[in-house]
Amino acid sequence: MSRTPAPAALGRPGRIALGLGRDRGAGGASPRTIGSDRRWVAFFLGPTVIGLLLLSAAPIGAAFGISLTDWDLLTAPKFVGLENYTSLLSDHRFLMALRNTTFYTLVSVPLGLVLSLGLALALDQSFRGIAWIRTAYFIPIVTSATAIGLVWMWIYAPTGGLLNQFLVALGIQPQRWIADPFWAMPAIIAISVWQGLGTSTIIFLAGLQGVPQEYYDAASVDGAGRWRRFRNVTLPLITPSLFFTGILALISAFQIFDQVYVLARPGKPTDATITVVYWIYENGFNFFKMGYASAASWVLFGIVGVLTAIYFRSQRRWVHYQ
Amino acid sequence: MTSARRKRLRIGILATVLIVGGLIMMVPFFWMIVTSLKTRAEVFGSAPFSLPTGPHFDNYLKMWNALPGVTFGTFFMNSLKIATFVTIGQVITCSMAAFAFATMSFRGKNGLFAVLLATLIIPYQVVLVPNFILYRVLPNPTSPSGNWIGTQEPLWVWAFLGGAFGTFLLRQFFLAIPKELADAARVDGASPWQVYRHIYMPLAKPALATLAIFSFMWSWNDLLSPLIYLRDLQTYTTTVGLAFFQGQFVGKWPEMMAGALVSIAPMVILFVVAQRHFVRGIALSGLKG
Repeated sequence: MSRTPAPAALGRPGRIALGLGRDRGAGGASPRTIGSDRRWVAFFLGPTVIGLLLLSAAPIGAAFGISLTDWDLLTAPKFVGLENYTSLLSDHRFLMALRNTTFYTLVSVPLGLVLSLGLALALDQSFRGIAWIRTAYFIPIVTSATAIGLVWMWIYAPTGGLLNQFLVALGIQPQRWIADPFWAMPAIIAISVWQGLGTSTIIFLAGLQGVPQEYYDAASVDGAGRWRRFRNVTLPLITPSLFFTGILALISAFQIFDQVYVLARPGKPTDATITVVYWIYENGFNFFKMGYASAASWVLFGIVGVLTAIYFRSQRRWVHYQ
Repeated sequence: MTSARRKRLRIGILATVLIVGGLIMMVPFFWMIVTSLKTRAEVFGSAPFSLPTGPHFDNYLKMWNALPGVTFGTFFMNSLKIATFVTIGQVITCSMAAFAFATMSFRGKNGLFAVLLATLIIPYQVVLVPNFILYRVLPNPTSPSGNWIGTQEPLWVWAFLGGAFGTFLLRQFFLAIPKELADAARVDGASPWQVYRHIYMPLAKPALATLAIFSFMWSWNDLLSPLIYLRDLQTYTTTVGLAFFQGQFVGKWPEMMAGALVSIAPMVILFVVAQRHFVRGIALSGLKG
């Protein structure tokens, strides 16, 4: 079959368009919509449905089943009930992982959102060269956390590292950064904020460009200053963008792994840097404790699920859809 | 007049701040490039913030051939192959699903779409162990393990089974295509496949480019999955290769920075060339969420 249908159809759009006006927006099945033929629906959606069942639905259920067992992959799984979950409660390293991940999320998410909102407001200008300036802020988005993590490790290196060179030049005491339990997490947060800044900024910029100019004009006529215009016009109108970037940042913050893996090498993350996903990786794929790792992944799922639900419920109070 | 001058001054200050900020954002890249051209003695011995005495490109050569029996080129080609397969799989199957969601009517459509979107909030790690077990059960006579573990297939086969992000992105785009085009073709006897292939796909090229770029990037940058599934050095991607390299060559910063640069470069080049598609992809998925 060649490209005949399109040109032929384009030859007489009037008749067709009129004939089909009824179908639009009705939403219900109609013999004239593209296809209600089940075989075609199955054909187009087959891969997706198989993927959903095989790679999402079944594994989520299976993860819960596995979490109730003691399983090293070599011998048959042994049913232990909720023992893995109760063990987690007294597992020092897991609790540290949970604490670090929570700290990482609580700091990096709000910090990233505030910085990128400010950056988006600053970048929402048109003057010559602005495109190049934007590129500089966006490039970190595309770098792999592994490769750029190596670069940051070298920036943070106690001897020869750029940051310490800089501090010494300023007469400030150099630090051990990643090797220092106090500075390790803030150092990792700095990397993530640096890398993630562009993504939220782009979403905010798109949101800002959707604010009608008339609103600003009206506010100016009413005598509103720069801050009042931001507070009463811009901020309410970009709450949908804020809501969406917030959820993206929250979910990805709980999944922090790559930076921790790279910065802790050679060796393993200390109690100061281990995160939940690293803990799952370590227990599942280094120690082959499949049941224990699955239990932790369900705890992670539960936390993210509850936070997402709370966040979604909160949107009624602060998100304004136009 | 004064107001215009004040405005110019304000833009001037803002531009200066933005440029300084942009340069600070670039510091890790400068530091990476500068270090990759230094000798090891220069890295530790010389004065702070010094530049290399000459471009020591041999660091790149040393990095390229650092591991026995395999060059960095192998990792590079592995990443390229896997990312290309992922991109092809995602573009085909996500666009097919998006076509069904945007143009067809069937029972359970909204429910299925909601379920698909819900998978966006599932942390990938939740399905890590079960998926590992799934690939361990799937037979593969050509692999030493007898199953899919240790092969590259688990890193790209999933891409041929759709995905929430791509389907959502393309559905938004497909919904904006006038239905009359498709309806007219249908009246002329075109099958849904022909409508999809010859009307929707050509019109959706910008959105397909966006999805292709993102799929490629996610695959190229992924560390966790290659770490779990790959066993043999020959099969490594650039990310695991780099992490492995790092474990072997502690303190060899010039070589490591050369390796980091080589593995970042393709994505940065792609970004600069196709920035439009990146920005649109992020903005589109963000705005309409």
